Amino acid sequence: MRRVLADTNASRAQPPRAVVDYEELASCWSPGYRYAARVSSDDERLGVEALSAAGLDVVWVESPDIRSGDVISLSPQARSCTVLFRAADHHHALFLTNRCNSYCLMCSQPPTTVDDGWLVEEAIEVVRHVLDPPAVLGITGGEPTLLGSDLARVTRTINEKFPVTRVEILTNARLLGSSALARELLEAIPSARTTWLVPLYGHADFLHDFVVQAPGAFEQTVAGLLHLQQYGHAIQLRTVLIEPVLQELPALSEFVARNLPFVREVALMAPEPIGFALANRDLCAVDLNDWHDTLRAGARTLQRYGIPFMFMNVPLCALPHDLKPYAQRSISDWKNTYAPECNGCDVRSDCCGLFTWYERGWRPAKLVPIKLLEASL
Amino acid sequence: MSYAQRALPFEARELGHDSWVAVSSAGDFAFLSLDELQLLRHEPAALPLVKQAELQAKHFLRSVGSSASGLDRLLRSRQLAKKETTVGGPTLHIIVPTLQCAHTCRYCQVSRSLEDTGFSLGNKDLDDICATIFESPAEKLTIEFQGGDPLLRFDLVRYGIEQVSRLAEERGKKVRIVVASTLHQLDGEMCDFFKVHGVFLSTSIDGPSWLHNKNRPLRTRDSYERTVAGIALARDRLGSEAVAALMTATGESLKYPQEIVDEYVRLGFREIFLRPLSLYGFAKRNQALLGYGVRRYQDFYERALDRVEFWADQGVEMREVYASIVLNKLLSTFDSGYVDLQSPTVAGQAVLVYNYDRFVYPSDEARMLAESGDQSLRMGRIDEPLTELLGSPVREQLAQSGDASLNASCSKCAYQTYCAPNPIDAQAQLGRMSADAADTDHCARHIALFDFWLRRLRSASPERLDRYHSWADCGGSRER
Repeated sequence: MRRVLADTNASRAQPPRAVVDYEELASCWSPGYRYAARVSSDDERLGVEALSAAGLDVVWVESPDIRSGDVISLSPQARSCTVLFRAADHHHALFLTNRCNSYCLMCSQPPTTVDDGWLVEEAIEVVRHVLDPPAVLGITGGEPTLLGSDLARVTRTINEKFPVTRVEILTNARLLGSSALARELLEAIPSARTTWLVPLYGHADFLHDFVVQAPGAFEQTVAGLLHLQQYGHAIQLRTVLIEPVLQELPALSEFVARNLPFVREVALMAPEPIGFALANRDLCAVDLNDWHDTLRAGARTLQRYGIPFMFMNVPLCALPHDLKPYAQRSISDWKNTYAPECNGCDVRSDCCGLFTWYERGWRPAKLVPIKLLEASL
Repeated sequence: MSYAQRALPFEARELGHDSWVAVSSAGDFAFLSLDELQLLRHEPAALPLVKQAELQAKHFLRSVGSSASGLDRLLRSRQLAKKETTVGGPTLHIIVPTLQCAHTCRYCQVSRSLEDTGFSLGNKDLDDICATIFESPAEKLTIEFQGGDPLLRFDLVRYGIEQVSRLAEERGKKVRIVVASTLHQLDGEMCDFFKVHGVFLSTSIDGPSWLHNKNRPLRTRDSYERTVAGIALARDRLGSEAVAALMTATGESLKYPQEIVDEYVRLGFREIFLRPLSLYGFAKRNQALLGYGVRRYQDFYERALDRVEFWADQGVEMREVYASIVLNKLLSTFDSGYVDLQSPTVAGQAVLVYNYDRFVYPSDEARMLAESGDQSLRMGRIDEPLTELLGSPVREQLAQSGDASLNASCSKCAYQTYCAPNPIDAQAQLGRMSADAADTDHCARHIALFDFWLRRLRSASPERLDRYHSWADCGGSRER
């Protein structure tokens, strides 16, 4: 989520509003929605204020950092707004809660315990105010299944408004291990439009439970995965390449291949150097160039069993040559940057780059610009 | 909760000096030293943590304090996945339209010469058979014409295939049709017909010309040459993948493992099945002449397999089918549907044989046994409804005596999740279906094969492991 500077005529903190250009306002407007019109002149400001005085729920906003199609919440006192949905992004996410039932060693966003139930209502308002259907809309937290039936309420809002949008739910699936909640959520949420992104960090309970710092989590997650399969939901299994996971990656791959072959794919992700990962730097900061044999062995097992996999958050120069084709440009736009070394790299435009906060943390590997050789005959 | 580990039921077997394999009830295996095996049995907490993790992931161990049901449910779903082939309706239907054959193979025993009459079905019989076949609830059916040499009665094969195709379309079933033949009679007209119906051909090549012609005598002594000509014609008209070959290993064949494999490579086959001779029917009388013990077959198998790998290492990939069956059991968590080694046996359940004598048998071997006078395996007549055939006392007995968990030796065997007793083999060898597996050649042969493949897996290079996983069809279920 991004906070950007913004001027507005709104006088108090605002629920989410759809951003439209002033000229579009008439053509976009429909009753029951809140608008923030981008203005660039006094005439336009006056025009918006007149409409507002006439009873339309619209304010004007001026900011170089927002565009038509965004959804924002304004904070006039701070002369700023929070961009809750940015139309130009490739990755969109709705943030449903900061609470979590796990406490992962490398958590990029350490959980809090305060009641943040208002986030659900905000998320629903964000969805209502998105103008164009995104291809994919992520749901994240915290742990979204803590919301129980409210999670289904959010997905229903998305499905009803944007029937073609795929919903991706990032969850540790522990609560889905309960048959009752699994039935309630997995019947209500349509399997044809949903993918569940579920992390798994070990092939034995004591390995996984250590990484997520929660006794019993492994058994619950496995039960949750089986329920997802039972109800026909698509699963992307995720693992994060920190040292305790890398040490057992080939065995984890074998466990997945033999026991969870119903997953659609496996994402192997470099950690974000922020949050708990900074506090647990000794376990989380690895140079992936030191682990190429491990990555190859893990990948090879998945290949033998025909399970698709990809690397996320891993720059191309951190992978051995034969695994580079499996790298994805995965880092969300607003978190993404490149290092000075990247300027000399020929494949920068194909590379996921780095998290913007890499400088306070570490790099996933020693970065080496890649030079493409032109064959001369 | 406590992460102290307790052992779940498993069996182990010695593979060599201080080298054991343990197999869990999920069918996962682990290579252990004797010390490790003892610790696993009596004091798992004393195993290194890495080993504990491996053994928990492979369903040998559970944490004492684990309360949620994740891994238990996982184990149950693994066990069910292995049974997929044993729970569907009949999928493999073998029709024997005629017993006539021009050959006089010493090991074949069942065939009748061209002059003999009364060894063939009629069109009305084929109607009855097709009616039964399409009572099966299975979505995909394989229908195989065997003999004798069925192409000697192409009129019957043609009529049968026409009925099958028509019914398949009416009922919306996917059907794979196979004709097993020497291909000596194959001509352009037959190829045109087979092409229309998407028929696959299966023929016999026992090895190089001199070996094949010795195994499969014809008065003209050109069985090999005429089969190879048939293969060429079939490939030309139906495509290179439309024809496969099987070999039968006689005592003579066992001397020539490399020559046999090389012959398959030379003929451009992508598969070879190093199949032992089954000693049924007439052949039993010739056992001294043609037969061989498990040990001799295993030596042959290992040498032939080495040759298959030699070629594969040069880039000439050829899959050995027996290896594929065994590796599917060992490496894949999905049953790829081979009818062999299912527990309980699928003979008479997934497989039915409709014989020229108008009786239905549970397997190809069972109808051959009937030729030697033991007709105890008849399930019923070809015009009986499928439900009656499947409910026959013979099928009941097969299910009982073909279940590893009910067999005294199997239920203590490390390979019980991979293997099963073969009651029809037992009937042929010992005269009773419910023999203890340990008394049968079937058991000795498969224990030797599983031992061999586990030793090979233990020391295989990554490249060879890639090959073995591909033979095992590990990703197969995802593609289906």
